[in-house]
Amino acid sequence: MTDLLFAGDSPREQANGSTTQTADPLSHYVSDAPFDPYAIERMTPAQERFYMASEWRMVWWKLRRHRIAVLSGVILLTMYISILFSEFLAPYDLDARNTDFIYAPPQRVRVFDKGQLVRPFVYGYNYRLDMNNLERIYMPIPDKPEPIRFFCRSGTYRFWGVFESDLHLICPAHGGQLFLAGTDRLGRDLLSRMIYGARISLTIGLLGVAVSFTLGVLIGGIAGYYGGWTDILVQRGIEVIQSFPHLPLWMALSAILPVSWSPILVYIGITLILGMIEWTHLARAVRSKLLSLREEDFCTAAVLMGARPARIVGRHLLPSFMSHLIASATLMIPGMILGETALSFLGLGLRPPMTSWGVLLNEAQNINVVALYPWLMLPVTCIIITVLAFNFFGDGLRDAADPYH
Amino acid sequence: MRIEEKKPHRREVMQGGFALLAAGASLGEGRGELQETPALRDEVADGKLPEIEERIPIEPAVADLEAIGTPGGELRMLMAGPKDTRMMVVYGYARLVGYTPSLVLAPDILKSIDVEDGRVFTLHLRKRHKWSDGRPFTSEDFRYWFEDVAQNKNLSPSGMPISMMPQGEGPRFEVLDETTVQYKWTRPNPLFLPDLAGPSPLFIYRPAHYLKQFHQRYADKTALEIFVKQANQRNWAALHNKLDTMYRDDNPDLPSLDPWILKTKPPSDRFVFERNPYYYRIDKRGNQLPYIDRVILSIADSKIIPAKTGAGESDLQARYLRFDNYTFLKGSEQRNDFKVRLWRTGPGSQLALYPNLNVNDEIWHSLLHDLRFRRALSLAVDRHEINQVIYFGLAIEGQNTVLPQSPLYKSRYRSAWAQFDLHEANRLLDLIGLTERGNDGTRQLSDGRPIEIIVENAGESTEQADVLELIRDSWRLIGVRLYAKPSQLTLFRRRVFSGETLMSIDKGIENGLATATMSPWEFAPTSQQQLEWPKWGQYYETKGIAGEPPNLPSVIRLKNLYEEWLAAASHEEQAHIWHDMLQIWADEVFSIGTVAGVLQPVVVNAKLRNVPEQGIYNWDPGAFFGIYKPDGFWFDLSEPSAKSAFMAPSPR
Amino acid sequence: MLSYLVHRILIMIPTLIAISIVIFAIINLPPGDYFSTYITELQSSGEAADLAKIAFLKAQYGFDRPLWEQYIFWAGGLLHGDMGYSFAYNLPVNQVVGDRLLMTFIVSFATILFTYFVAFPIGVYSATHQYSWTDHVLTLLGFLGLATPSFLLALVLLYFGNVYFGISIGGLMDPKYVNRPWSFGKVVSVSAHLWIPVIVIGTAGTASMIRRLRANLLDELQKQYVVTARAKGLHPLRLLFKYPLRMALNPFISDIGSLLPHVISGAAIVSVVMSLPTTGPMLLEALRSQDMYLAGSFLMFLAFLTVIGVFISDIALAILDPRIRLQAGRRR
Repeated sequence: MTDLLFAGDSPREQANGSTTQTADPLSHYVSDAPFDPYAIERMTPAQERFYMASEWRMVWWKLRRHRIAVLSGVILLTMYISILFSEFLAPYDLDARNTDFIYAPPQRVRVFDKGQLVRPFVYGYNYRLDMNNLERIYMPIPDKPEPIRFFCRSGTYRFWGVFESDLHLICPAHGGQLFLAGTDRLGRDLLSRMIYGARISLTIGLLGVAVSFTLGVLIGGIAGYYGGWTDILVQRGIEVIQSFPHLPLWMALSAILPVSWSPILVYIGITLILGMIEWTHLARAVRSKLLSLREEDFCTAAVLMGARPARIVGRHLLPSFMSHLIASATLMIPGMILGETALSFLGLGLRPPMTSWGVLLNEAQNINVVALYPWLMLPVTCIIITVLAFNFFGDGLRDAADPYH
Repeated sequence: MRIEEKKPHRREVMQGGFALLAAGASLGEGRGELQETPALRDEVADGKLPEIEERIPIEPAVADLEAIGTPGGELRMLMAGPKDTRMMVVYGYARLVGYTPSLVLAPDILKSIDVEDGRVFTLHLRKRHKWSDGRPFTSEDFRYWFEDVAQNKNLSPSGMPISMMPQGEGPRFEVLDETTVQYKWTRPNPLFLPDLAGPSPLFIYRPAHYLKQFHQRYADKTALEIFVKQANQRNWAALHNKLDTMYRDDNPDLPSLDPWILKTKPPSDRFVFERNPYYYRIDKRGNQLPYIDRVILSIADSKIIPAKTGAGESDLQARYLRFDNYTFLKGSEQRNDFKVRLWRTGPGSQLALYPNLNVNDEIWHSLLHDLRFRRALSLAVDRHEINQVIYFGLAIEGQNTVLPQSPLYKSRYRSAWAQFDLHEANRLLDLIGLTERGNDGTRQLSDGRPIEIIVENAGESTEQADVLELIRDSWRLIGVRLYAKPSQLTLFRRRVFSGETLMSIDKGIENGLATATMSPWEFAPTSQQQLEWPKWGQYYETKGIAGEPPNLPSVIRLKNLYEEWLAAASHEEQAHIWHDMLQIWADEVFSIGTVAGVLQPVVVNAKLRNVPEQGIYNWDPGAFFGIYKPDGFWFDLSEPSAKSAFMAPSPR
Repeated sequence: MLSYLVHRILIMIPTLIAISIVIFAIINLPPGDYFSTYITELQSSGEAADLAKIAFLKAQYGFDRPLWEQYIFWAGGLLHGDMGYSFAYNLPVNQVVGDRLLMTFIVSFATILFTYFVAFPIGVYSATHQYSWTDHVLTLLGFLGLATPSFLLALVLLYFGNVYFGISIGGLMDPKYVNRPWSFGKVVSVSAHLWIPVIVIGTAGTASMIRRLRANLLDELQKQYVVTARAKGLHPLRLLFKYPLRMALNPFISDIGSLLPHVISGAAIVSVVMSLPTTGPMLLEALRSQDMYLAGSFLMFLAFLTVIGVFISDIALAILDPRIRLQAGRRR
């Protein structure tokens, strides 16, 4: 290896021609590995993972820092997975009703029976009719504990419409009842209805946002890319739609849904309606981003190379801010879910016998429930949790969306 | 509460005619000295109003009340929209002829009425009866309506009301003298009197002195034009129609005969009605009715009215309260100063299923025409369960027909095909030949389609959805599938009328308290509004221009019976026809009734008197509170009562 | 700047025309019209007395004319300031609307103030103490209003307001003050009733405000000048208020334009539940019964307000924020 000479130090020539070094204040190290000009740039595997990480991976890392967002994400994931297993999770069937237990208050799960720790159970109800107030009075029977069964066999159902099964996660004791959230005016278990209702409420949000997303990206993309008159037209159109109060649009669109449609079609129609009104924000965001990105060099390069507009927009421009779009889309979902409840309230949306959280809340929207049967308002907690979770998750996504920031 | 318009004896004019109830003109008999109304004393002293002797008619109506009351106070009620001011006309129930609480027709505004042959009606007004602005109420007001309103092509493009045109023939109208008018038909017109006594009545008079200023024939041309322009109307007829709101009661300037007169000019969220100083009824002690000085209608959204009532904001409320509000209201009784009573409702069935006999689908058409099918469906409805689950077991189970309170009631009418008998129902369906079943146990039609009945409804109440849910489960046991399809009122009706709907659910027979003198139109195909045979009804309504003629023998028979009733000469004949119709109705099961006599909560301020404990809450007959005559309700401030701190100002 | 103004004003006109066509289409979209719906209602409740009158009105108002004729008639009327006639109320539209406008403004104004007062501190705190637990809790509270369906919340608050505070249910004042002139008692009553709708409607709007404020503030706080100022020892609060907050206030101003119609229509559902004498329930009912002139003219009025509002807030923003002014030339 080459010797590195220090200033103020000169090798002393010896009589036999060898160089010696005297002890000096600054010692140094000389490596004798071969010279590699790219040494600085090569990374260890650990470094490589960090620096060469794709954008999505960086988004994920940044998202992880936002603890609430992660928690919300986990909650949402659980809820969506539960949709697949609603029949398994719900203790009762969707239309199971028990006329002996109308307006029964929720039963508390206990683990201590007379001071002893036993498997979880509930107390059965003794019920009498109060003919004075026309009220049903339920009193728990302390000496009749009804143990909750887990992974038990109860009413049969068709899993995903194909397999017949009768396995449930929890069921009431044989001959007993398990109303963890109370019952409604026909004696139907509220918890089961909430679990089944999740199916519709959660998916309406997703589908509606999918519609909005498509519309927004499409229209915003066209406006942003072409500019000029198309842009002006789209701008004005968006202004017209945005300056419109939502309610009349909802009412009009719901009124033209044909009555003869089956509930599924009505459901799809409603998601379309909700989606068709919300796309404007997304379109504006896409449009403004595209307008600025359009001037970038990589776009010019693509144009010069003869790429068609669709390809330029789809392959080059959009991906650069896809994370923003996803964040915005996520933040639109709670609006859809709440929109569905609002539509149900106005009588325009889903109606019984379809079960969704909006339908459940609409049934709870009267003074009798607030004053006498407050447990029927429990679906509100489902909505609150879902909406909050989406909001926090979306916020986290948006914060993380620009990892290069 | 009993109100008798007459001395306790009746005179019946036979002459092949109807029972006639004449007022015994009893001046000074059975009543004391006239007392000046306290609220009006100041105005009388100032000279703005004449004294009470001048204000009431010479022969006023004397109310026979349960308890003589003290004048004073204001009554608050809750309504859902500005159109509900018409409820004051309904509740006030000032009618030429009205129903008593025992559902007997008796003259009210009229002093007496002579009926000859059921086709000549001579109406006797009370002498010196005045409108609410002090001007005389005379036969001129009847003439004005008859000649200048009903027969004026501009004001009444659709001509005279149906109840005045039996078989399309109008009456001959004659003014006999200042207080007597006569309507003469060539055929009996049994609809005339009941229509005069209806909740939304036939008004055959108008305040002529007021409306003439807006009528082309009488008004000064230039003045009328100014009026029209000021009111932003297109022409004089539009103006006249706008101001002539005897029923809707939204014109404070329009004179009226009602107990309370509107004083607030719309639009408003709070309508104040003040007492009519020229009201024609007095009590036995000589107080001029109404007792209550002021009625205040507050407008609020209908869904919030039960909550507001529970908070004590209404002194007399039944409208917009439902049976399921009872528990909440009873619980609120303590906090506020009211009591909740339960009255019975009048429809023949709270909810009834109507198979559409005019359905377009051919196979369903023939199946629904099959008597056994309808009977089987009816047998498979578990009315007891419906009663227990939704109505606390307090309703009356049975078919869609007259109630026990009706004099025409026979228990076999209600119980016909109304038991819960799955065995028999299955047997009948097997008999028809519907033995093929699908995989899930649903029976199949002759062309292989499963028997799925889509029951459409106007989607207005959860009650309907609940009942359908219960019926669905019991019909499943006989192999019939039920789907509920909520829709919107106009669309729902349109689909039924056009025959697209297979079956619908709606309220039952409106008049479950029918007497023989009331029209049995609901039991015959007379109107398109009847969901079980809209096209046949339309045929009758339009006199053959639209719709289809009935082709079921039993229905044809019903129609013929109805026409016989219209021409019937005697009370007995009418009753006989009624029973025939009711029997056919019971046998044929044209509508599947569920429960009837559902209880209606009526909230009454604890200090309000003369409101019956038990009563019937029905539209026609009944006019809700009308037949109980709210002008006789009064506030008893004598006994101390626990007032809650949250109560609104108490009546003076 | 001037050309920008003129350009914007010119653009407003076709926008308004387009909006009027959309409004007209929307109202007439559901099958039937006011009269047929009303007739059906009357028939189903057995009240035949008004039927003749309605037939009369229907012919009078030319509801048998083709749609485009009706549109021209209505639009023409609007240009003259004639908003038409409401059949449900039996009165000219201006009378029906005018009555309720005052209350609507009171509610909307109070709601907007409330939204700002709640969103502002939460947004600022959230930006300056990002990811802390207090931030999370406060944001949770701010978002709770958004997450709860307003109609249910309104009903619950109404009930408890009555049971615990004796406030009469619904409405904006005690029934005895309705139609009376303003007095001290009336003001007190209105304030007592006002807090429920303001809370219910306002909390729904705080979430987006908080989010915007936080995002903008975060952006600003990353900038060089902030770092410099902090390094130079400027007190953090003073630093916060002197520059970044002003930038971050942009959305508050620019949003006024879109906030107003949002509040007016978002308040519709709550107003229906609480039976407030505002324009929301009136609009809803008019749409339901297809009371064409009332619904159409009022919607046009709202749209007009929005367009003007957006315009004004754009101007306000341009005045406040020199960057926008200077970029006006390059603005698309």
